[in-house]
Amino acid sequence: MKKTVVALFGWILVLALVVLIFRFSNVYVQSIMNMLMYNIVLVLGLNFITGLTGQMNLGTVGMLALGAYAYGILTVTAGWNPWVALFAMFAVGFAVGRLLGYPSLRLKGFYLSLTTIGFSEIIRLLITNIEPLTGGTMGFSKVRRLSVWFYESQTKSDYFYILLAFVVIATVVANRIVNSKWGRSFKAVRDNSEAAEASGIDISKLKVMAFTLAAVYAAIGGAMYAGYNTYLNPSGFTLEYSQNYVAMLMIGGIGTVPGCIIGATIVTILPELLRGFADYYWIMFCTVCIVMAILVPDGLWPLIEKVFSRLRDFIQSHKSKVA
Amino acid sequence: MFSNINLMQFVVTGIAMGFIYSLVATEYTLIYNATGLVNFAHESFIVLGAYLFGGTFVRAFGLPFWLAIVLTIVSMGIFGILVSTVVLNPLRNLQFITYAMFGTMMLSRILTEVARLAWGPIPFAVPGFLRSSVKFGSTFMPSSYIYIIAVSLLIVIGLQVFFKTTKMGKAMICVSQNKDAAALMGINVTRSINLTVAISAILCGIIGILATPLFNISTGMAASAALKGFCAGVIGGFGSYPGAIVGGILIGLLEQFGTLLFPTAYKDVVAFAVMILFLLVRPSGIIRAKKA
Repeated sequence: MKKTVVALFGWILVLALVVLIFRFSNVYVQSIMNMLMYNIVLVLGLNFITGLTGQMNLGTVGMLALGAYAYGILTVTAGWNPWVALFAMFAVGFAVGRLLGYPSLRLKGFYLSLTTIGFSEIIRLLITNIEPLTGGTMGFSKVRRLSVWFYESQTKSDYFYILLAFVVIATVVANRIVNSKWGRSFKAVRDNSEAAEASGIDISKLKVMAFTLAAVYAAIGGAMYAGYNTYLNPSGFTLEYSQNYVAMLMIGGIGTVPGCIIGATIVTILPELLRGFADYYWIMFCTVCIVMAILVPDGLWPLIEKVFSRLRDFIQSHKSKVA
Repeated sequence: MFSNINLMQFVVTGIAMGFIYSLVATEYTLIYNATGLVNFAHESFIVLGAYLFGGTFVRAFGLPFWLAIVLTIVSMGIFGILVSTVVLNPLRNLQFITYAMFGTMMLSRILTEVARLAWGPIPFAVPGFLRSSVKFGSTFMPSSYIYIIAVSLLIVIGLQVFFKTTKMGKAMICVSQNKDAAALMGINVTRSINLTVAISAILCGIIGILATPLFNISTGMAASAALKGFCAGVIGGFGSYPGAIVGGILIGLLEQFGTLLFPTAYKDVVAFAVMILFLLVRPSGIIRAKKA
């Protein structure tokens, strides 16, 4: 009981720190922090399908685009209340999850990644060309924001607090899922799907569920994206961004929730930090990624965990020696 | 309704573009068969080849075309061996295929960035290279199309001859079937893989050279061709070379004829839609390749 109280207190401290950092930053840093918020939600979603279940999903921006445009169209063209539109995102995510989940049962590895790429590109082309609905390349503007009864964000930056609330909820839910029976089943499917099936796990149901989780998170992320930017344009949903999300997952730590947050933070913030290197920062970043893929493929968080557990063992053995 | 549309033009363009997709499919099939890895970086290989040819050898050094082509081929070969040793060989031994895919994606970004830094972000063209065209009847046949088809056929036949007759070629086939058995037979698997990647890189370089008159040289020139090349390989039968040809030409033709049916903006969708259809209905592709 005491441990959870301490942990809770610790997390509240962390949140307070984040809010403080936000308050004392300039508008530019604040915009990056906002971007980081929906990136985290997206990576958490991607983690279910690529990190835990091991199916490479390169269609994240396709799902994001669907969520963002659906939310935008519902709140503007159809005039729905933003909160109702947000709940509709669950339905959107669910539908997309089913749509991608069933083909994924028959496709493995490379084929699945191709299909997800195809899905993402088709979505992008549709969005670009169905102008009366989506505004095409001119973009879609004036998306409405969410407002809680006691708080309405006055500026674009201040939407951060609402986004932060989303991230907290998303993280807690993701943590509960990863550490539950479902999380372990997902990992079993990744490590050896035949053995998992032999142990009685229904692979089909699991894969579809993983895709649905990823899609729901992506759709919610889309609502966050749309609400923050209030302007949507197809150019923000190209394949390159899908690769970015995969990079965030791979660098941070496959299959772990803290890993997702770390990875998202690093990939979002690093380009800004490395600006000093001018033209070479992207090459440096990608080189580091390749080196990590070869040497530390599981990502940073598992590495950190390993270091900590070695330290703990060392301290334990020391204690017993002294005693 | 169709009376004044030149069907031959569609067929010609379709076959030419189709062969480009086929070459891309052949190139990544080579690497897949040898290493089990999918080369997500092939787009950047093609771009690199084009830039080497157009940017360095022709524009900067002012060399005649044939010499530039030869030098590009040699450079891409060396480049392929480098990439294979430093990146692909370590990646293929990793536990999950997702790690390797990620590695090749990052490699692609690096190469594209290098190209952008080395040759500048402004697209350029190679003047006078395969710009002429032949006209018969009312059909325009740019000479680049003729070269594409001719070179592609040469490459396809050449590869088959290489695999069937030379020792290195047969070794590569053995490695693709069963690495351990090949090693037991005394084949140096690593060297074989390096050679495969080198040939694949040379192919990409040739694709880049052939694509120069079509697309002009820029960092994004190969983006759609690379993706459609993936689709071509899958449609034709993943892992089989005849399949790559069939798939590529099919996509090329379908794309062109698709513009008759729906707005040109959706042309790029054709390749993906057909591929997804095949994946759901007939995953082993047209040629019924064994690996599906």
